[in-house]
Amino acid sequence: MILNVSGLAPSELEYRLRQTGIVLQTGSFITHLQTSIPGVAECISLLYADYPLLEQTDFADFHVSLAQPGNLRRWFRPQVLFLFDGSPPFKPLPLDQAFPMLEWGLNWCVSSQANRYLIIHAAVIEKGRYAAILPAPPGSGKSTLCAALVNRGWRLLSDELALIRVSDGKLIPLPRPVSLKNQSIDIIQNYEPGAVFSRKVNDTMKGTVAHMKAPADSITRATETAQAGWVIFPKYQAGASALLETLPRSRAFMRIADNAFNYSLLGVRGFEAMAGVIDASLCYDFTYSNLDDAIETFAALKPPISPM
Amino acid sequence: MISPPLILRVLRQPDALASLSLADWDLVVRQARYSNLLAHLHALLEERGLIEQVPPQPREHLESSHFIAERHIQSVQWEVILIRKALAKIGVPVILLKGAAYVMAKLPSARGRLFSDIDIMVPKDSLNEVEAALMLHGWAATHHDAYDQRYYRNWMHELPPMQHINRSTVIDVHHAILPETAYIHPDPEKLRAAARTLDGFDDLKVFAPIDMVLHSAAHLFHEAELDNGLRDLVDIASLLRHFSNLPSFWTELVDRAKELELTRPLFYALRYCALILHTPIPADTMRAAEVGRPSLPMLTLMNGLYTRALMPIHPSCSDRLTGVARRMLFVRANWLRMPPLMLARHLFHKAFLSPKDE
Amino acid sequence: MMDSNMKWRLMTDQALQFRCWDDEFVVYNSLSGDTHLLDSTAAQILLKLQQAPSDATSLSESLAPLLHAEMDDELVIQIEQILSDLDTLVLIERT
Repeated sequence: MILNVSGLAPSELEYRLRQTGIVLQTGSFITHLQTSIPGVAECISLLYADYPLLEQTDFADFHVSLAQPGNLRRWFRPQVLFLFDGSPPFKPLPLDQAFPMLEWGLNWCVSSQANRYLIIHAAVIEKGRYAAILPAPPGSGKSTLCAALVNRGWRLLSDELALIRVSDGKLIPLPRPVSLKNQSIDIIQNYEPGAVFSRKVNDTMKGTVAHMKAPADSITRATETAQAGWVIFPKYQAGASALLETLPRSRAFMRIADNAFNYSLLGVRGFEAMAGVIDASLCYDFTYSNLDDAIETFAALKPPISPM
Repeated sequence: MISPPLILRVLRQPDALASLSLADWDLVVRQARYSNLLAHLHALLEERGLIEQVPPQPREHLESSHFIAERHIQSVQWEVILIRKALAKIGVPVILLKGAAYVMAKLPSARGRLFSDIDIMVPKDSLNEVEAALMLHGWAATHHDAYDQRYYRNWMHELPPMQHINRSTVIDVHHAILPETAYIHPDPEKLRAAARTLDGFDDLKVFAPIDMVLHSAAHLFHEAELDNGLRDLVDIASLLRHFSNLPSFWTELVDRAKELELTRPLFYALRYCALILHTPIPADTMRAAEVGRPSLPMLTLMNGLYTRALMPIHPSCSDRLTGVARRMLFVRANWLRMPPLMLARHLFHKAFLSPKDE
Repeated sequence: MMDSNMKWRLMTDQALQFRCWDDEFVVYNSLSGDTHLLDSTAAQILLKLQQAPSDATSLSESLAPLLHAEMDDELVIQIEQILSDLDTLVLIERT
């Protein structure tokens, strides 16, 4: 029987997390999660409310846990470790950052293990069957833009990881909480007062972070793949008017490959998958400062004409 | 009697996978991942036409690692091309060792592997020339510390590893297969004399089949740490299976081990391949290999260590987690250190840009 | 100074994959696993070498019409430069 996380009372959720762990379905990935760290259950209750909770599962793609390292520090400067099947891929972080660490850890699981996909560090949103891929070097404002767009009619596939299935070039959704930092948190909270947020966590590597719950629609449609339609490189520039400039496809190819986790690792398969995406897409550089202008520009995007 | 870990069951008898439940597969994938055997498992099952029988979810993980392993083979082949170019002019006989040898000789052991450094063996008196040629072509010395340099040159059997400045790949240049400081000294000249030229390459050699097996055994059972124990044992087993059809392979194996002072590692290799992986080994050979058997106290001690160290390292396989299991799994660089994106420089020549770009 | 009669070729078993958009080429080298962005001249040279080994002079002769250029020493020098760059990128080698 499948119910959603919201079907469990918070105390029951916390109990299960501590004891046997829970099994979450996010997009096409099944994750077994266990933790005794207080506070994490609360965040999961809030942000993963609409996700399927598998009661009984035999196979999980990832077995992860959050634990406090058993050292002397646990008394005066408590920490948290992310464990992948019992082994820590990263150094510990302050205990306060447990939930963001979980989110980063879950992204790491996919980006380091799921090599049947060409994985780009990008946001992916979809409307009218076509997906817009927004590759994201730091400072591009990609997450803010993505958070705004998914509250204005675009479906969220992912805010961090574009998954392009190598076998057929389709984009695979992985809708999870949208990560925002510093001023972006307030900006989006003002932009969409109804959006659900986890509490702010200060002093992380990325500054102050918070996570926004993915819109319910994107979770319901998490198994619905999409076809690439646009590759758009966003750049936030204070005071700039919204400007969409055509980008030559060969340049778009090189720049998006530059933003991939495993382009080189996939060899010719990576090349072919990337070429397929570029072939099918209209490619742009996009400069903006005002979110409403950006929403308007995206709303006016012309769908690509199918290649011959 | 504890039943063997699931991964061993599959390794011993791939055809039995049809009897595995989805929950079994969950454990098999995790044990394989911990033991660096995920890609090997894919290769094993693909060889036997069994991949389609793997349920879709675990199959994703096997195929994911398969993509990576294929990329590694491509990388090794490219490194070998470039090493050949670098060493072409100095006319030194180069022998490829271990993984690079398996790839270039197209052995089944090449499939489903992740490679770290490329290992070659050259005559001791040509080390300086080889080092100079490599440096000319972009490989740079590592371990600049004087102690480290001495450690490698005087005490080990190799130059300090050299890393390429553009590709970040590493080459280890050996002149023998065991350190000078080891108590046994397999004669490199004997190994060189028996080495075979690779098909289609007049400048590259690999060890003769028996020597390949003995080298692999010496490497595994001489090392102090057995981080990759099961993986390395699987390698030896794979070589044994592949070469077992060669005429006189089994009959000459022990004699050659005697010649090279490697009877002890051979004894262990055959013993544990049979015990842990159920590799078929002719009784006569097992008997003859007894010449390498250590004293009873030593064997008892080693047996305890090896049976634990050669088991898959996974929480599901130990009753007591060792420091090794807690170790950061992914820190160990287990493959050719490739930069995140291998995009080379762009080539643009203003003179020939088409008019519309002006 | 390069010998303009020196012959160049792709490497044995080398498979190049080309994609062209707006007269620029993205090329995948199956041997090295590298991906390159090339202008159409460099790509045309590679395509010619893919058919058969050649030298700078012959390449200049066959490509001059395509490039809307005169067949002269200057063209040969420029083709030699591109060949040298392709060599540095390990896309081609001397025969």
